[in-house]
Amino acid sequence: MNEDTCSAARRSFLKALPVVTAGAAVPSLGAQAPGARHHWAMLVDIRRCIGCQACTVSCFMENAVPEDNFRTIVSTYAVEQLREGKKEIGTFMLPRLCNHCSNPPCVPVCPVGATFKQPDGEVVVNAERCVGCAYCVQACPYDARFINHETGKADKCTFCTHRLQAGLLPACVETCVGGARLFGDLNDPHSEINRLMALHKDELKTLKPEAGTHPNVFYIGLEDEFVGRIDGEANLWRPTAHGA
Amino acid sequence: MQTHIVEVINMPREVAWLPWAVQYFFLIGLSVGAFLLSLPGLAFGRSKWRNASRLALLGALVCGLTAPVALLSDLHQPGRFYHFYLYMNATSWMAWGSFFIPLYLGGLMLYAWLVTRPDFQRLADRGGRWAPLYRRVAYGGLSSTGAIRAAAGLTGLGATLVALYTGMEVMVVAARPLWNSPLVPLQLLVTAVAGAIGLVLVLERAMGIVRVADTRLLNQALAASQFAALAVGAIWLALGLFELSPSHVRALAEVSGSPEWRLTAAWAAAATLLTLALALLRSGHGLLTGLLAMHSAWMMRWTLFIGGQEIPKVGAGFHAYHLPLGQDGWLGLFGTAGLWVFVFIALTSLFPWGDARDSQMT
Repeated sequence: MNEDTCSAARRSFLKALPVVTAGAAVPSLGAQAPGARHHWAMLVDIRRCIGCQACTVSCFMENAVPEDNFRTIVSTYAVEQLREGKKEIGTFMLPRLCNHCSNPPCVPVCPVGATFKQPDGEVVVNAERCVGCAYCVQACPYDARFINHETGKADKCTFCTHRLQAGLLPACVETCVGGARLFGDLNDPHSEINRLMALHKDELKTLKPEAGTHPNVFYIGLEDEFVGRIDGEANLWRPTAHGA
Repeated sequence: MQTHIVEVINMPREVAWLPWAVQYFFLIGLSVGAFLLSLPGLAFGRSKWRNASRLALLGALVCGLTAPVALLSDLHQPGRFYHFYLYMNATSWMAWGSFFIPLYLGGLMLYAWLVTRPDFQRLADRGGRWAPLYRRVAYGGLSSTGAIRAAAGLTGLGATLVALYTGMEVMVVAARPLWNSPLVPLQLLVTAVAGAIGLVLVLERAMGIVRVADTRLLNQALAASQFAALAVGAIWLALGLFELSPSHVRALAEVSGSPEWRLTAAWAAAATLLTLALALLRSGHGLLTGLLAMHSAWMMRWTLFIGGQEIPKVGAGFHAYHLPLGQDGWLGLFGTAGLWVFVFIALTSLFPWGDARDSQMT
């Protein structure tokens, strides 16, 4: 692993610790002139993910996600490769969440304009307006949306926008044990996320780039087999589906 | 290098457009198709279509009045239906649909009323307990071909827009390659017309007014619709097999490896061919061809919507779907069917649709 990356992410993680304990200052989000807009984005360093699902659990706790669905999850794959006649077996972890696309296909299809992109880039749902038609669920190419059966409305990751407004990091970023999730402002030229993205610009990938959605969740260490729909055997574990 | 991947943990997504949506697309399609069948006999004065068009109008009304209930039930916040009108988002085909449906249904009811006014007057003149009601509905009993054609034009516009929006609403979903095909609106329309012909054939039998000439006429139209369905299906397959369209290639790749999907495709093709053969070879018999055509129209929508949602967008394999017993499953299907029967009984009790010889409908 690149030493620079390692130390940067560790610094980022350590920076977040006071937020956890004091819940006030958020040094990693950076300062911005009043009135200036952020462009929030997430960088996921897959090489650091240990698949502990701490992000999944913290998201559940922070956002009251119903137990049969997820706003974020670490998809986990058993991978068997035959390389030069030698069998190699490993595990691949892929943290998934809403990609808060710059060109989100979920927004234009919403018949009542309930789903929209905030000025700082978060794609959110106005729960007061949502009719629960699930058209946005169909339009999302990342399966990142679902109908919350406790509210009867579309639900998704918001980048913990309520926490951002309070100057805090998203819950999944704060709890990431391996420091794999880095959150920051692309409009801030001095932000850690910009620095790391510049450092790893040749390795950066997004999910389904051919969809033209321009995601704001970037990955380092994303293997080609996992960029789109996975060509493999179906998942072994399922939650209890609603109504099934 | 060979790679074998087994998904251990991922987020399986459930079906979000429920069987209610299948019922809606089925019923509104049948209504539009039946309205089209009503035109030659009732608006254009083609005498050989008179009986069939009369039953088609009944079918269009029953299906058209039932369909919006199924659509509303598919919303997870049905009490907020008025948001469609308060907060319209013009970039959404679904939003436009909320305006096209009332246009179509309003036009259809006006058209049906104009067509049936003289018959209501005739019923009123016969006297009896319901005569005052019939007289009110007849509102003078005037028969105006010009007014009927004008109303048919308005309804035709609504029907066209409904057919367009239902197709486009599905077609624009690029995230689902199976839906993201310019052929989908055409497939929905062709199977809707075929299903509507099937409905009229079944209504003939159900109402005990089978006439061989009408059945032959409808079976001829049904055979043509089955040719069209096979042609559209063949074009879809060719676009995928010969790699002429990326979305068709992706769609084919997603389903071609699945034995269940291969069985479904074979079933659909066999049902279409059987319907075609029976419509041509036993054109005097309508019940079986009618049921087969309706079955194919419904199955096409079930496969497209429920089957389509079983295909993960990012995960491996398929999402599992089991039709539940409750309102999101069987109860929804039976409930819609029950409402259809209720509307059918109400309309046929109010008005003698069955016998065109006693009717002044032209």
